[in-house]
Amino acid sequence: MAMRSQIYQYLATADSTSQASIFVGGLGNNITKPAETTATQFVVIEQVASTPSTPITLMSDSLGVYSQIRINTTDYFLNPDNRPNDGVPGTASPYPRSVQFQPSFNLYPDVYVLPGQVWDVLIKVTAGGTNASAGRPEAFVKYTLYDGPDALIANKLLELGISVSPANVDWYKRSLISAQSAPPAPAMD
Amino acid sequence: MAMRSQIYEWTNLAPGGTGSTLSRATTDESVAIAAGTQVSVFTGGVGYNITKPAETTATQFVVIEDIACSPDDTTNKGGDVQIRINTTDYFQNPDVTQMSGVSGTASPYPRGISDGTNNLLKSFDLYPDVYVLPGQVWDVLFTAQTTLVTATTADVVAAFIKYTLYDGPDALIANKLLELGITVNPANVDWYKRTLIEQQSGGVM
Repeated sequence: MAMRSQIYQYLATADSTSQASIFVGGLGNNITKPAETTATQFVVIEQVASTPSTPITLMSDSLGVYSQIRINTTDYFLNPDNRPNDGVPGTASPYPRSVQFQPSFNLYPDVYVLPGQVWDVLIKVTAGGTNASAGRPEAFVKYTLYDGPDALIANKLLELGISVSPANVDWYKRSLISAQSAPPAPAMD
Repeated sequence: MAMRSQIYEWTNLAPGGTGSTLSRATTDESVAIAAGTQVSVFTGGVGYNITKPAETTATQFVVIEDIACSPDDTTNKGGDVQIRINTTDYFQNPDVTQMSGVSGTASPYPRGISDGTNNLLKSFDLYPDVYVLPGQVWDVLFTAQTTLVTATTADVVAAFIKYTLYDGPDALIANKLLELGITVNPANVDWYKRTLIEQQSGGVM
């Protein structure tokens, strides 16, 4: 399977108020090494979400959780003064979603992780109370992994200025097959 | 990355419940705002702020897609949000007089917040989007409907802005789309790029 819908769920198990990686931050469920794409992989991050909170509880007992995407050493979300910010608030992109917390934010356009790049999602907790009393912060990442030939097609689509999505990769494959199976042009006398 | 989805979240939280801060902390407390007072969410000197007014450079183009804030009702304290481009307010009354903007009840943040009876969903959609052209200064102003008191848990309010930043070549394309009367969005910028590539390659992919 060369195009795969993937998710990563994170649950912190220790208190922290500084920005920490959900992959290798050492504060919750982690993976063995930083997330990176090989030369034959292409990743499209489609959604980031984290624990939400209402403003009136930010001073007391709930968590204010923010998630930032980092590609190599560059943070994706910036303030208007071009300084990196904490990222998307869980209040704007909640996980889990509920009637009380619905998304105000949609990650569009998607974020592309090109072959050979290292990527990360960092969460920061900025609210009163301890994590233990307010519940542990959670985060959620939805991405699509393109591998092998589909990663090459994803790169080609990027060159052509076409959004990288499973539908467009399939369209490009169909175009190639149609071009190959087209009847040869009649010989000219 | 030449097209980037960006967000900005403002709260009236700052250390000691006074002034503003450039970074959020767990010990921040609500800053007082008098009812009817309009403050810039970027540089108003109240709560979370940035270092300078929001402006686009000659190679940037911003499309503001959503604004929202805390609703003002029996359960929550909140207000209205207004967009300002240079010195012009975006939302105005039918008699062309000034108004405080979109209420948090019409565009609530968080979406789904309870007003005591119902979970509020948005009644307002910022469509068409608001364009900030290269070289313009833009701002979002929050007006408190009720007096907010310092260091009081129930007096924390928030505002939220979602925008897309087009930079470099994509900002030039955004300007071109504007000239052509075409909506500036990521799909149309991609479409324009494809058109250019097809013209260069003579229609051969």
